[in-house]
Amino acid sequence: MNKYKKITLDGLLFQNPTFMLVLGTCPTLGLISSAFSSMGMGLTVLVILTLSNMIISALRKVIPNAVRIPCYIVIIATLVTFARMFLDKFVPDLYESLGGFLALIVVNCIILGRAEAFANKNGVLESAVDGIANGLGFTVALTLMGVICEFFGNGSLFGLQIMEFKIGMLATPAGAFLIYGISIAVFVYIMDNFERARRVKANKLARENLLKEAA
Amino acid sequence: MSAKQFFKSTVFKCLTTLLCVLLVCGIFLTVMNSLLSVSAEERFDRAINKIYGKSVQTVSVAVADYNSNATINEAYKVTSDGGNYLVKSTGKGGFEGGTVTCWVVVVVKNGAVNGIQKVTIDSNVGQSYISKVTQSFLNSFANKPAKDTYFYTDDGYLSSGATRSSNAICNAVNGAIDFVNAQLGNVTEDIYADCSYIAQIDTRNSSHEYDKDKGLVVFHVQTATYGNASKFSIDVSVDKDGVIQSFVISKNGSTSGYESSMATGVLDGSVFVGKDITAIVAMFNGSATELPYPPAGLVTGATQSNYLCLNAAAFAAANYKMGLPADEEPDEGENNEEGGNENE
Repeated sequence: MNKYKKITLDGLLFQNPTFMLVLGTCPTLGLISSAFSSMGMGLTVLVILTLSNMIISALRKVIPNAVRIPCYIVIIATLVTFARMFLDKFVPDLYESLGGFLALIVVNCIILGRAEAFANKNGVLESAVDGIANGLGFTVALTLMGVICEFFGNGSLFGLQIMEFKIGMLATPAGAFLIYGISIAVFVYIMDNFERARRVKANKLARENLLKEAA
Repeated sequence: MSAKQFFKSTVFKCLTTLLCVLLVCGIFLTVMNSLLSVSAEERFDRAINKIYGKSVQTVSVAVADYNSNATINEAYKVTSDGGNYLVKSTGKGGFEGGTVTCWVVVVVKNGAVNGIQKVTIDSNVGQSYISKVTQSFLNSFANKPAKDTYFYTDDGYLSSGATRSSNAICNAVNGAIDFVNAQLGNVTEDIYADCSYIAQIDTRNSSHEYDKDKGLVVFHVQTATYGNASKFSIDVSVDKDGVIQSFVISKNGSTSGYESSMATGVLDGSVFVGKDITAIVAMFNGSATELPYPPAGLVTGATQSNYLCLNAAAFAAANYKMGLPADEEPDEGENNEEGGNENE
């Protein structure tokens, strides 16, 4: 399999940071009551993750091992501060809706995790692809849950009122926790079935090859 | 370790790298800050656009607080909108003592406050359920003329699921009304402004009268909110010696279901009856101006409610002289709690 395709599929599906690795739980639970905030947070993390992965990958041979974590934190904090300034200037509504969670991206496990697990060992291009894939995986997961929570919790989608019926609990962090749990269960179930089907197909192919060789 | 060895060591390399990263990041952020910083004017224009949907002509007005439950942060006279006032007011009494800051457009007609045109939320402190405050709740302020009245959650001005935040918003709006009234010269004098133990008392909505037949000063005390406890209305009767004779809670502001958790002695007033301010202060280790929280001996499942009642009792007992007719007023030297000898 092509290297970049594998990195992309890992970030999006097989090692999806939200559903498979259960990382970045704090903003997930705090923000998925609104689809707009969820998508905004996801896209912000995508940009910061991609840039931090690229910078850390570029500097991986320069930064001594002993101070790599402080250096990563300084780089990530700089990017987050820049993102805050940018959003406050150009997208103030999103800046207000993200509130304190925007500053908390500095300690987001996904970003530091990818820096340590991937960008530290791979080239700039691969790290950029990894950042985009993981960021997209996080964004799609958050937006999906945000849509579900907002639709059933407030009867609206991206702030647009659609129906009067609502289950108020789903618009609270407790409801978000419930939706998060159900989403993980469904995603893992789908991925398990997909993996099983793939394994069966691979086994069948291997058996056929063996039979061919034996014949 | 020689200097040469130091410069070749890992420690030096680590320090240099870390300092370089810090320097580059610092320079980058400095440049970005100068390019992307949002000025106070820009923030104000954003707020105006959010409220009016267009830019308007405003004149800045000096701020001052006229309501103990609200702080006025900024105020403008909107010259292009018939002289209405745009006030940024922070209302106290939110969830867990937090605040909500609102922009309030106060309508002025014929030199008097004639209602609220619009209320928008600017920011909040510690209001976890602020997202439950609905637009229809904020719009409801504009549907009622605020000429002679204030807004209270008890009158139905609350957004379901965010009662405490609604209370803070009501306080912010009431604060804005008081401010504009003061600007227009229609300020009502707060007769209790210089009294003792008023920190937890809604002084503008409290009153007292003298019951000539019984020789008692009857205080109708309206408390402020405290934490989760809402406003209490309490009638406290004090005799001419400053001793509390009766303590009746006419409206219990305790959170629904918590009334029964209040101290029994507070609910029936027996903790306060028969005591003057000196006894109350001594009992709860208070000072000459305030009582400490939590009140010793009144820590129950509804301590905040107990505290408000205690403050109401202290307020009445400390300020009973205001209600005594001139001929009944005790001699200063005879009943001076401060124990001062100013006249000597």
